[in-house]
Amino acid sequence: MVDQTPVVEIRDLSKHYGEFVALDNLSLTLNRGSILGFIGPNGAGKTTTIRILVGLSRPTSGTATIGGVDCVRELAKVRRLVGYMPDKFGSYDNMRVREYLDFFGAAFGIARRERANRIAEVLDLTNATWMQDRYVESLSHGMQQRVGIARTLLHKPEVLILDEPANGLDPEARIEMRLILLKLAAEGKTLIVTSHILPELSRICDKVAIVAGGRLRAFGTLQEVTRELSQMRTMEIQFLSADGLNQVADKVRKMLEPTAEVKVSEAELIIRCRTSATDETMAGLLRQLIMDGDKVAQFREVAADLEEAFITASRAAEAERTGQAAPAPAAASLRASSEVAQ
Amino acid sequence: MKGCLVIIERELLALLRNLRTLLILVFVAIAFAVIVILKWPSSGVSDLNGMQARETYQWLTYGMLGAAIMIVPVFPSTSLVREIRGRTLELLLNSPLSRSAIYFGKAGAMLGFVLLLFFATLPAMACCFLMGGLSLADVLRLYGFLLLVCTQLVVIGILVGTFARSTEAALRWSYGVTFAITIIPTFPDYFLKGNDSPIAYAAGWLKMLSPIPSLIQLLRQGSIGGTGVAETRPLMFWYLVFTGVSIVAGSLVCIFRLSHSLLDRSRSQGSITDEQSLGIRAARRVLYLVDPQRRSAGIPWYLNPVMVKEFRSRQFGRLHWLLRLIAGCAVLSLMLTLASAGGAETRGVNFTGAIIIVLQVALIVLLTPGLAASMIAGEMESGSWNLLRMTPMGSLRILFGKLSSVVLTLALLLCATLPGYAVIMLIQPNLQAQVRQVMVSLVLAALTSMLISATVSSFFRSTAVATTVAYCILISLFAGTLLVWVNLDAPFGHSLVENTLRLNPLAAALTAIEADGFRTFDLIPSSWWISSVLCTVLLMVLYLRVRRLGQPD
Repeated sequence: MVDQTPVVEIRDLSKHYGEFVALDNLSLTLNRGSILGFIGPNGAGKTTTIRILVGLSRPTSGTATIGGVDCVRELAKVRRLVGYMPDKFGSYDNMRVREYLDFFGAAFGIARRERANRIAEVLDLTNATWMQDRYVESLSHGMQQRVGIARTLLHKPEVLILDEPANGLDPEARIEMRLILLKLAAEGKTLIVTSHILPELSRICDKVAIVAGGRLRAFGTLQEVTRELSQMRTMEIQFLSADGLNQVADKVRKMLEPTAEVKVSEAELIIRCRTSATDETMAGLLRQLIMDGDKVAQFREVAADLEEAFITASRAAEAERTGQAAPAPAAASLRASSEVAQ
Repeated sequence: MKGCLVIIERELLALLRNLRTLLILVFVAIAFAVIVILKWPSSGVSDLNGMQARETYQWLTYGMLGAAIMIVPVFPSTSLVREIRGRTLELLLNSPLSRSAIYFGKAGAMLGFVLLLFFATLPAMACCFLMGGLSLADVLRLYGFLLLVCTQLVVIGILVGTFARSTEAALRWSYGVTFAITIIPTFPDYFLKGNDSPIAYAAGWLKMLSPIPSLIQLLRQGSIGGTGVAETRPLMFWYLVFTGVSIVAGSLVCIFRLSHSLLDRSRSQGSITDEQSLGIRAARRVLYLVDPQRRSAGIPWYLNPVMVKEFRSRQFGRLHWLLRLIAGCAVLSLMLTLASAGGAETRGVNFTGAIIIVLQVALIVLLTPGLAASMIAGEMESGSWNLLRMTPMGSLRILFGKLSSVVLTLALLLCATLPGYAVIMLIQPNLQAQVRQVMVSLVLAALTSMLISATVSSFFRSTAVATTVAYCILISLFAGTLLVWVNLDAPFGHSLVENTLRLNPLAAALTAIEADGFRTFDLIPSSWWISSVLCTVLLMVLYLRVRRLGQPD
């Protein structure tokens, strides 16, 4: 579904609030029909970027265009091109869902008859038709999120920008939300989605941008980003029995660099290593283990995930801010420790 | 008792940590200091009979009463609603604290704040005392009386808080009730004085609900304006009885209502008539005329969507509510006209008109902040302002839609009371010109109230704060200036009173109808000019604010 026509183009975007740099020379391009996972720690600059894209905020320098339309100079056009769902729902009291959508449809100048059809369409798309007569404020958070998406779709925008759409949703609602977003992407919409639920995001995004400390730390496909950020790799060596597992671990420690973390999980019969060793070193290690008669059942590299990449980027930004060396990603360390404990 | 102290400590500390509370205290201290400075003797002649000191004392007294009416209701009513909405009341109710400890803790904390407010006035009062002519007993009696008034306002505030669902509603109702027991009761007696009818007798008793006549008696005033509300009956005694009973009864109701049921408020799931059977639909059509549960039609192209949205999202903005409001106002207007038309021979039709005018302005002052003060602040607070900015509608269209929703409601309200004026013109056709002047003054009163509330709304991000500020300004404008008029000649001179009344469109309307006590003033057209200029300035400021808020940050 992704074609190669760029829809969102951000060039050297910066935003300063006095001395504070909220956004520092951020540049990225997004093609039509793609889903961008826009992630970063709190205060990283995600919402600032989004607010500039939707015309709610003015950048200090740099440009941002959507479908070739300048987000700062051509506000009226941008508003028709973008559907924005902020993290705060923005409800009105005493209004039913249908009336709520009718108001926004009218505000976008959609004719009455067309509006009625359009409301039915978006409610159907978001599986929210059954709640059309409910009062907006009486809806649960998950239902409100669906109505929020329906609202953003009313004027048929090319680009949808969703700030934390899965926030506070139960697992079932989250799955529904994921399906809705995939359906929208399949219809050719370009989506920019921010979320702190990274496993969820990694399932739907074809591109990921990680921002931290106002700067873009990584941008590309999930594989590209994790490869770029994860300088340490996690290797797992599984054995047929637990006999002499600790001696083997000592041997592994000697063969790897001194900073490598080697943990033993006797319950799983696994030795897990966090190392920066090259493929050649790892091949040598495997050869040595086999030659020594250690009963190796599996020797594999654990694929780095988005969570790990995110934490690496956040730590790097924090280290940059404090002027200290970035510590090892917590996710991997924590996971390894918990597994050792088992 | 210990639990009660815990609540007092927490509430009072939270209040004192708030910058706004500090600003209020500083403002009160400065305002009262200014009053004393203005009245401080500058010549070498000593004021041996203490007249100047007593005048200053009266200024301070009315200032303190005004401050109490405007400031005190805010905190108790919003405090409880915030606890309910923030679910902290649940934690309190689940703690070992009893309901009465929670209630007395809250009330105690609010009274603690009142004492701080009094403390802020102490330097000014001490200076006044030093000027001579006052005894310590006078000062203590005044503070005791005001403490009683404030206690009643605190109880009312907490009681309203147990019913309200939002801070705006709590504020609206608190001010409404405060207004209804402090200012409104003085008017019927003023207009019906000298009449022997049972209504006039009832009005005489109704007056005792208000602290103003008792305060006048306490100050031993016998001024021209004061005769309207002052008299020889032991007003203070009856006021103490009424207030004491209302405090005790209100406290008992509050304690009874402070339970988990406050947190179990169901939300309407939105049943709709369109999905009912044909019979039910037909029955509802006949019964309701405008069925509140019918599926509403889409917004037509010729209507401003923001205006329709404002009506729909307002609790009493739906058509069926508006029809009830109009009918209620019309019935009330006719009843008042009929009731007072009987006394027209003795007092003239002017007093009938005056009653209707006061009723209309009271409704305007009570309703307008609720309608207009949440206009922008409410959108900011709920986060929907960003959604509105994201639509292609310009600032002017948004503003027009919002203002028209308020203008239409106020116009309906004003029109609904027209039958009263029709009866006046029927009884005395030569009053047509005066009635027209009254109409203009009332329209200006409505526009001024709306634009003040709307402009205030554009400067705040919290509806509660915007509503409070709007009420304070409107009460100062419409009731505060009348407080100056009540004290005509003692301590305020005719010229000062006339100039002050020029700011008040209500006074202009009462002058136009030649109500008692207003005949000597010449307020029209100068009052209209002042109101028109004020409205124009406010409209410009409002437009610039909305335009600014609509632009990228």
